[in-house]
Amino acid sequence: MSELSRRDFLEATAAGLAASAAMPAVGMAAQSPAVVDSSAPRTALRVVVNGAQREAQVEDRTTLAELLRDHLHLTGTKIGCDRGECGACTVLLDGAPIYACSYLAVWTAGKSVETVEGLASGERLHPLQQAFIDHDAPQCGFCTSGQLMSAKALLAANPHPGPADVRAALSGNLCRCSNYNHYVESVVAAGGATPATVATEKRTPQQKSVGTPTPRIDGVSRVSGTATYVGDVRLPGMLFARVLRSPHPHARISRIQTDRALALPGVKAIVTHENCRVTWSSGDTRNTRYLFNNPVRFVGDAVAAVAATSAAAAEEALHLIEVAYEPLPFVLEAESALAPDAPVIQPGGNLSPNAAGKPEPETYRRGNVAEGLQSSDRVFEDHYSSSHVNNAQLERRVSVAAWEGDKLTVHASTQGISNCQRDLAADLKIPVERVRVVCQFMGGGFGNKNQCHDFDLMAAVLAKQAGTPVRLELTRKEDYVAVHGRWPTSQYYKVGVTRDGQLRAIQMRGYSGMGPYRKGSGGIAGTELYECPHVETIVHPIYTNTAVAANYRAPDYPQGVFGIESVMDDVANALQIDPLEFRLRNATKKYHDELPYTSYGLAECMRRGAEAFGWKERWRAPASDRGAIKRGVGMAMGSFQSRVGRSSAVVKLDSSGRYRVHVGVTDVGSGAKTTMALIAADALQVSLDRITVISGDTDRCPYSVGESGSRTTNFTGYAVIEAARDLQRQIKEKGLPSGDQVLIGSATPEPRIDGAARYSFAAHFVELEVDVELGRVRILRYVAAHDSGRIVNPLTAASQVKGGVTMGIGMALHERLHYDPKTGIPLNPGYYGARVMTHQDAPQVEVLFVETEDAFGPFGAKTLGEPPIIPSVAAVANAFFNATGRRIKDLPMSRERILDVLA
Amino acid sequence: MKAFANVNPRTMDEAVAMLARSRREGKRAVVSGGGSDLLGLIKERLVQPDVLVNLKTIGGLDRVTSERSHTRIGGLITLAALGRDPLIAKPFRVLAEAANSVGTPQIRNTGTLAGNVCQRPWCWYLRNGFPCYKNGGDKCFARGGENQFHAIFGTGPSYIVHPSDTAPALVALDASFRIAGPAGDRTVAARDFFVRPGDDAARENVLDTDEILAEIILPATPPNRRSTYEKVLDREAWTHALASAAVVLDMENGICRRARIVLGGVAPIPLDRPDAARLLEGQRLTPDLAAKAADAAVADARPLTKNAYKVPLTRALVRRTLAALVNRG
Repeated sequence: MSELSRRDFLEATAAGLAASAAMPAVGMAAQSPAVVDSSAPRTALRVVVNGAQREAQVEDRTTLAELLRDHLHLTGTKIGCDRGECGACTVLLDGAPIYACSYLAVWTAGKSVETVEGLASGERLHPLQQAFIDHDAPQCGFCTSGQLMSAKALLAANPHPGPADVRAALSGNLCRCSNYNHYVESVVAAGGATPATVATEKRTPQQKSVGTPTPRIDGVSRVSGTATYVGDVRLPGMLFARVLRSPHPHARISRIQTDRALALPGVKAIVTHENCRVTWSSGDTRNTRYLFNNPVRFVGDAVAAVAATSAAAAEEALHLIEVAYEPLPFVLEAESALAPDAPVIQPGGNLSPNAAGKPEPETYRRGNVAEGLQSSDRVFEDHYSSSHVNNAQLERRVSVAAWEGDKLTVHASTQGISNCQRDLAADLKIPVERVRVVCQFMGGGFGNKNQCHDFDLMAAVLAKQAGTPVRLELTRKEDYVAVHGRWPTSQYYKVGVTRDGQLRAIQMRGYSGMGPYRKGSGGIAGTELYECPHVETIVHPIYTNTAVAANYRAPDYPQGVFGIESVMDDVANALQIDPLEFRLRNATKKYHDELPYTSYGLAECMRRGAEAFGWKERWRAPASDRGAIKRGVGMAMGSFQSRVGRSSAVVKLDSSGRYRVHVGVTDVGSGAKTTMALIAADALQVSLDRITVISGDTDRCPYSVGESGSRTTNFTGYAVIEAARDLQRQIKEKGLPSGDQVLIGSATPEPRIDGAARYSFAAHFVELEVDVELGRVRILRYVAAHDSGRIVNPLTAASQVKGGVTMGIGMALHERLHYDPKTGIPLNPGYYGARVMTHQDAPQVEVLFVETEDAFGPFGAKTLGEPPIIPSVAAVANAFFNATGRRIKDLPMSRERILDVLA
Repeated sequence: MKAFANVNPRTMDEAVAMLARSRREGKRAVVSGGGSDLLGLIKERLVQPDVLVNLKTIGGLDRVTSERSHTRIGGLITLAALGRDPLIAKPFRVLAEAANSVGTPQIRNTGTLAGNVCQRPWCWYLRNGFPCYKNGGDKCFARGGENQFHAIFGTGPSYIVHPSDTAPALVALDASFRIAGPAGDRTVAARDFFVRPGDDAARENVLDTDEILAEIILPATPPNRRSTYEKVLDREAWTHALASAAVVLDMENGICRRARIVLGGVAPIPLDRPDAARLLEGQRLTPDLAAKAADAAVADARPLTKNAYKVPLTRALVRRTLAALVNRG
């Protein structure tokens, strides 16, 4: 491919965000911070917005979404993709839903626009908004405004819609938290509902506590467009930054020329590897990774960042930076990267070193697997693979950095304010007290924002250099190629078993493609689900010239469980044992057959899930149906470590009787704020409406582990209980506070578990039909049984399970980042290309909680956020096998693969 | 997004004049119907206009009018309005179904019929800026590349698939297109509107730079017509067809007198299958005959390295679509 054509891809990559490059608005519109690009044609515009006449002068290229957000400051309308692929920007134009990102502002002249801000009448919520809160429809909330507007148009045309009507009307609105079931329920409920009468965040009913289904305490902000996400933050003098990215999968940069870009009016700062040697420590746990690396090692690797007075100027400047690349050989597949003649991506070789720094695979052994296989009656050997799948949260990653003297404040869309603060301080080499990280609302993450990210650091560096605040927002395409996704794997299995179905040996050799930097573990988990005397797993995390792979919801699990649970399904079928029976017989009883579990609900999940599902009646021999439409059922197990550990909380009581709970959570959409409030209310034995949660700000909140590893409830929730107890002790000693007195309880517990393993468990059951001529898979029934100990909030917990299952189905059937093998360029970076699950794809998921008693964690609560995705991929794959008698061993089970395997 | 000027013509003549004038002044001009896909292309810098001629301000071209011998549809009608128009829903059911199947409600509320017909392909090489025929280059990267979603018919040199849902329906209905241009109007049969890559790999249709698809004319529907549009997606909504079939059957006393089978999503143009249709004509429709016609419809398929699955899929789609029409009678 010629340099010119590479540049074309680069431009396509770089193009995108065009927010707020606009004239200061006139009339009722407040001032826009952007500086005018005088050459851009402009038009004065009158439009009715939410019933009020508005005037603005906009550049002709300004989209309606930008008009609303940047000129009229109606930031309830979100931009998730800027390409009409997600629906977050849906507004009504003369009553009809449209994508505001894909409609020019000037085209709305003389028309009427309705946004989420126009739904409520004063304090009174629209019935849809109230229904959304009551049914826990919004999780992260980033898609919610769009869902509301589509639903409003539906109710206007059809006041009493059924579920199918709702799915069709909302089919153009993605929810990556995948809480589709609750959205549909809400709209159905709102059809014919009487207007809600209550409308404040303090609406929460009295006497609610742990175990009671409780609407989110911040529900009103999530349904009214008032929740402030990082992209909604506007600071005086704020610049807009963009990143120039490598169009080559591997190349040495011989020259970067920034003069022409710097000369462009409005450009204030440019950083490249030549003038910025800041490291990004959490971007690679093995090698030194800089913000800008030379050589560049994947298509999308950062080459330069520009800050300018408008996003358009920043974008334009990217095209004026001249970069001379010397292309190097590249390799895209993990196993090929281990070949002796493969291009070397990191100095130590392409096998990423283990934690001890040695270039050796991650290995686990018990018993003697060779002997185990030898002594088996039958040995099953197979290969499975999985693809790179993106987290694809609706909120594009964004950071706003501002310096006041030597103090840095970063508004970061982060899952962990404490981690982000620590990393920023370390990489910028400043004391941690001089860094403040703020994140009030977050539009989903699913693991891709556990730590500090390069764009947080770039924003800080650019802000320092320019002497004014900087916002750096990625495009959707950048989110797909330059943040990270789940690592692709190749898995080789050998399983030995006795004639009567007793496991003797499991061997798994795996290869994980990590991209060129080691940001995640590369693990392939799942064998620990089985009791077995001889086990060996050897996993090779390997550098490749592809997008970086790291944490995505249960990082090590769904791909590995897909492999092992498919193999075990084959074993059961070959031995003519009911797969449920086989699993009940062979499932883990002790962790690694050694450590007792602190609580164990796996068998119970299987039994109760099977009963609710009707497994006995529904399970038939594989390929029982003759016609073109074949029904099948499948199941799979899952487990996930439910850790405990250090976290902090502060609980304050003042004389008004209000309790303020300070916790360093950000609430990625899981409902953590509400969970913390419920735990505090229960621990303090007060009603929920007396609790205020202060979160998402390192200046106001103590250390929290961050919303990764599904640890928030277990770590920080436990700290809340301890802090509440500390406060109670003080109340006992000093009495209730009076006047200006404030009692402050605090705790930093560091609980440990010795001699036992603490795990959450799950068993999933699915019935589907396969149209073997069209390759279409339809999920007919889905039951997810989960042991996550005590459920703190069954309402938000159900949302977590339904969402995780639906994401897993998408991973099973659709999602994969495709590469052009000749150029290493990703071909489908976005929601359209990835075929992310829509309202029309999401099945109804029945959730069943097996509440085991556990001595650890807050009130015995165990992990829940990640487990739901773990068994789902395998359960779908096994049901596909049961329906067709054929097995697809490579993810995703796309149309192409389905029809090829059935041909 | 690069800066451009939006201009609002009041008439089609004015729009055409604006195009011609821009070109004379050395400016790149593009026309915009609904604009949603066009804005995406502009944001990706695949299209870089100086002037955007917004057709939404032209009056009168957003409606359906019915006369004795034909029905006229303004090219600017939105897909949503077209899909629910009573003058279309019954007599031209295949078109209504096609319009209602496009994208999402949001896309149908802005997307126009003419825009849908003239839509650029969704080939991922094209959309990612590879220098292919469609991007002004001299190569098709899908050939020998990642071609899971590409054409199974045709001999290149470009292997894009035509993405429109309404185009196969219009070809099946023997529609003709009124094209406005600097030299006045011209009318082209729908089947002649689309350009095979062998004739010109850079373009998808016969529109010249200063021309605009203004109006679609449908001949009146005879009594006893059965028609339908079916498509197969690889998720349940919001993507383009892996394969689609527009079928029109004119029946008389249980005998098929005239048949049209036009495929979408499988070739660089909406692909008429006259040989398959001919098998049906003069016959009483049966499941067996439907299967034979379906076989004939894919007989000359030439899949690429990774899209052979689309052949049986298309065959099954055609067979089932025909069978459904048999049952409807």
